[in-house]
Amino acid sequence: MDAQPLPKLMRDAVIDTICDAARKDKDILFISADLGAAALDGLRADLPDQFIHAGISEQNMVDLASGLALSGKKVFLYAMAPFITARCYEQVKCVIASMNLPVTMIAVGVGLGYDHATLTHFTPEDIACMRALNGIEVLTPGDAEAAKEIAKVAIADPDFRYIRLDRQGQAPLYDGGFKAVYDQGFGHIVEGQQVAIVACGALVQKALRAQETLTKKGVDAGVIDLFRVKPINGEGLSKVLGGYDTVLTVEEQLLEGGMGSAVAEALIDHNVLKSMKRLGMRDGFEVVNGDRDTLHDLYGIDTPHIINAVLELAGKA
Amino acid sequence: MASPKNGKIKLNVNDLQAKAHWLRQELFEMVMRQKKGHIPSCYSCTEIMVALYYGGVAKVTEGQPDDPERDRIIVSKGHAAMVQYPILADLGFYPKSELERFTEPGGLLGMYADFRIPGIEGISGSLGHGIGMGAGFAMAARQDGQDYRTFVILGDGECYEGSIWESAMFAAHRKLDNLIAIVDRNQLCILGRTEDLLELGDMEEKWRSFGWEAISIDGHSFDDLMPAFDRVGKTDGKPLAIIANTVKGKGISFMEGRSEWHNRMPSDEQIAQARTELGLGA
Repeated sequence: MDAQPLPKLMRDAVIDTICDAARKDKDILFISADLGAAALDGLRADLPDQFIHAGISEQNMVDLASGLALSGKKVFLYAMAPFITARCYEQVKCVIASMNLPVTMIAVGVGLGYDHATLTHFTPEDIACMRALNGIEVLTPGDAEAAKEIAKVAIADPDFRYIRLDRQGQAPLYDGGFKAVYDQGFGHIVEGQQVAIVACGALVQKALRAQETLTKKGVDAGVIDLFRVKPINGEGLSKVLGGYDTVLTVEEQLLEGGMGSAVAEALIDHNVLKSMKRLGMRDGFEVVNGDRDTLHDLYGIDTPHIINAVLELAGKA
Repeated sequence: MASPKNGKIKLNVNDLQAKAHWLRQELFEMVMRQKKGHIPSCYSCTEIMVALYYGGVAKVTEGQPDDPERDRIIVSKGHAAMVQYPILADLGFYPKSELERFTEPGGLLGMYADFRIPGIEGISGSLGHGIGMGAGFAMAARQDGQDYRTFVILGDGECYEGSIWESAMFAAHRKLDNLIAIVDRNQLCILGRTEDLLELGDMEEKWRSFGWEAISIDGHSFDDLMPAFDRVGKTDGKPLAIIANTVKGKGISFMEGRSEWHNRMPSDEQIAQARTELGLGA
């Protein structure tokens, strides 16, 4: 079998898009807290006035962004996921959210992306903490195409957004079709009837692998890529999920307040009461050396766990 | 009020002193009407604010809070941002009647500065944000080829926040000499004296070591304040830190230098005494 080309990194897709726009709009500013990317080199070299190194100083990065945004600048902040979220959460709350400033926060390595770095670099709580912020939009693309289109929206319509990117490249999901589902806030990647598997980011791929196996086992599962966790399209999502017998969510987050919680909230708010199960990380999760797949296995969120959970929901366990 | 010349209001020292007296009176009336507010924190930076707005330092235009060429003034020690309220009304940014509705439902003016108030550049209340925000304004001015300066009033207790120093380092590296920090060095925070609680030490040297031009002055003396502000723009590419040594509660004898008055309200007898000391009627 021929080796598959490595998928384009989400961060490169996003930065290339911002860089192209920045060449035509000097009000676009890109601020990094010492995180790089191949695509960033061009921006740094060509537009030094529009690239700002904030220092490994996330608090400064966010406070600085507020002053720039209040002065009419379109500000993009860029850092590793753990440090652009919890590390400077108070700054984001006080000087960005409170004034609803058009600042785009780009996080790289969400969830367990920095697998070998372990605890300090994991973000098992970033969806919960960021979606709790007043007025924020939380976007979590599943492939480079989605990441690029989301970046285009952030450029054309600056707003307070948190864009969470996987560190590792993800196989293409949309084949040119992401734009058509952007407004919907989720992609119904595979349609089914019995169990809807709702995932986001890297775990959409695991859900797809599970779905293939489940088909062979005679279970008609569907896969939904929930790329906009806030504001969640509760009406659209509950309509789609209402067509399934049961719902499974799977995420690289602690269950409290994560993506699965957002789905459950949406279903409750729209009076769609289904049998539902959430897979995710749990308090006291063990930390080991290992890659992301090893961690998924350890935390019970890998493909086999998804398969088992779906079989259980479908009454075939 | 003196009418502005070249977008600046410039009073002489006697008139500045009278203005400071007026500001303390206005603040006292405003706070005591509602029994809400932080008088001592405002009184330590009263002369600083009067010098900025009325001493020909900051570019402000009466009735035009959104003048794009205005200097940006941020009271980062947000609990004292109310020190601006009487001034901003005096500048015609909103009706003076708003001072009487301070903290009331439907009123414009709250306990902490809100960026929707004309003349308030950004939200404050949580400490440690003003220098970074100010650096953002200063960078934007630089990029847009604008001459406006950004003045940030910091509490000395606020300088415990690490974010202050992250942004101080950044501003110096970026040579933001259009950014000015005024540290209201009143030596007090809520629980006592800074040097007893957690020593701040030589603030002038600290700012200098971060790449700023730094000077120490008497923050209640216009004879000190005006020459300090004359240094703005003459710092050879360095941001300027003015360490203003002040007295918390300056102007009300029983509050001066006493940390317990941070947000305590005086008794009726104490109010009467304060009114006498401030030259207010009974």
